Amino acid sequence: MKFQIPIGPQHPALKEPISLRMTVEGEVIKDADIRLGYNHRGLEKLAEEKTWIQNIYLTERICGICSHSHATCYVQGVEKLMEIEPPKRGAYIRYLVSELERIHSHLLWLGVAGHEAGFDSFFMYTWRDREVVMDLLEMISGNRVHYAMNTLGGVRRDLDEGQIKKILDGLEILRKRSEYYFYLAANEPTFVGRLAGVGYLSKEQAMELCAVGPTARASGVPRDVRKDDPHAVYDDVPFEVCTADTCDVLGRAVVRIKELFESYKISEFLVRNLPAGPVTVRAPKRAKPNEVLSRYEAPRGENMHYIKSNGSDKPERLKVRAPTLANYPATVVMLRNGFIADIPLIFAAIDPCICCAERTVEIVNARTGELSVVRFSELRARANDRSRNLSRKGKAVWPL
Amino acid sequence: MTDVEIIEKIKNLFAGKVLDIANPAPRRVFLTVEPRNIEAVVEGLKKELGIWYCATISGVDLGSEFEIVYHFGHDRGSLNIRTKIPRANPHIESITPVIPGAVFYERELQDMFGIVVDHIPDPRPLVVPDDWPAGNFPLRKDWKYERPPEVIPGGKT
Repeated sequence: MKFQIPIGPQHPALKEPISLRMTVEGEVIKDADIRLGYNHRGLEKLAEEKTWIQNIYLTERICGICSHSHATCYVQGVEKLMEIEPPKRGAYIRYLVSELERIHSHLLWLGVAGHEAGFDSFFMYTWRDREVVMDLLEMISGNRVHYAMNTLGGVRRDLDEGQIKKILDGLEILRKRSEYYFYLAANEPTFVGRLAGVGYLSKEQAMELCAVGPTARASGVPRDVRKDDPHAVYDDVPFEVCTADTCDVLGRAVVRIKELFESYKISEFLVRNLPAGPVTVRAPKRAKPNEVLSRYEAPRGENMHYIKSNGSDKPERLKVRAPTLANYPATVVMLRNGFIADIPLIFAAIDPCICCAERTVEIVNARTGELSVVRFSELRARANDRSRNLSRKGKAVWPL
Repeated sequence: MTDVEIIEKIKNLFAGKVLDIANPAPRRVFLTVEPRNIEAVVEGLKKELGIWYCATISGVDLGSEFEIVYHFGHDRGSLNIRTKIPRANPHIESITPVIPGAVFYERELQDMFGIVVDHIPDPRPLVVPDDWPAGNFPLRKDWKYERPPEVIPGGKT
């Protein structure tokens, strides 16, 4: 008896709408097929029609959660093409916003993981804390989502003493709360038991399928662009690459929690050692014919922009590779031999964007051809019902 | 591995196959190879140098030919392989037997530039819609979008 379950294409949680067609036998997923392209915006073509400055705001709109990541990746590449370098203070502020963005993205993801695992108070706690960092970002940039901090040659806003104090206070609050809530999560055996062993991706598979970011690091692959290919300030900043070796959703949670503490450390370092001076230099209008490959560690993994200039004020070619695309082949492997009930959790584990959780899933009965529409909340309830009876996972321990 | 070590190793490994090695910036190495050698070079890099991570594949329309740049990442920077194929006969060998994770980038290349990737395990379109007209390759420089006339099912009332 075989069933096919189509999920998507209307799938608001993912950055791009995506269609996943799962072939299942009973409760077990035998194969998954991914179809993209429902929301292809032709952004690379559009970028060829716009000037270097206009493209900053275009790339910022690639994603809503990691908007600063794409803009920074683009800007640091174009600065190399134009042979300018941002002043030290400008660079520090730019990457301070990067780290604050990582904190907000990881806190958001943790909440979603808690929600999908049926631990809703954890979700409410982390999202309440996320407001602290969102307020800091709003204070620095004036916006909660599209910060528009970057410009060619530096950043658009400076920090003053009062803001620096507020950032340090906010980070202190966040660190304390994080420690407390992670202690809570670690001492909640149902939470650990729900995440352990779900969505297995071995180290060899992660390497073969070129997985990136926390997904790869949770499978024991110590790859982090900030360390491997240190862009701008990351040469000066002391931090560690966080990995886990459990290769499952629990590992992905652990990696993100460790990274939160690293990000607090980096942000504090950047704020405390903020050099004096200007925040921006004047950038030319045109760039000489050249090419550059810009890499950036976004919250979800490596961002890559390949930019080619032709001497005019517009790029010849802008190639964008977002981390989620790199993780799709690995997702297929994670889903394979898993349970239908774990789909929400495995989805949530690759992509922290899964916040609009109310959506429907159609289940096709292959024998009768009958379609039944299941709300995502019901799927989650079924998942939690199933895992409640699992005794073999009861012995899983929190690895932090 | 530093840039100098990598360049030295590549010179020894692929004596006749690599046409040019450039190091335009720290931690950036660009190789130029013939299109027919691409699979052999990628395989050699993975086996001998341990470079397993294909970050993406970029296509560039140069007019009479297409440039394809394979971007690889390793633990101390990135390595890029550049190759050029004629526009009249755009064929390239798939690298998926060596690096299975590159299949999405090759499918994207097929959709966007009309480059035919030979022996690709899954040749279906990836990013263009199901009803996309054949022979339209958006990232070619001569491609212009013309919005098709709107058809209202059942006609206007």
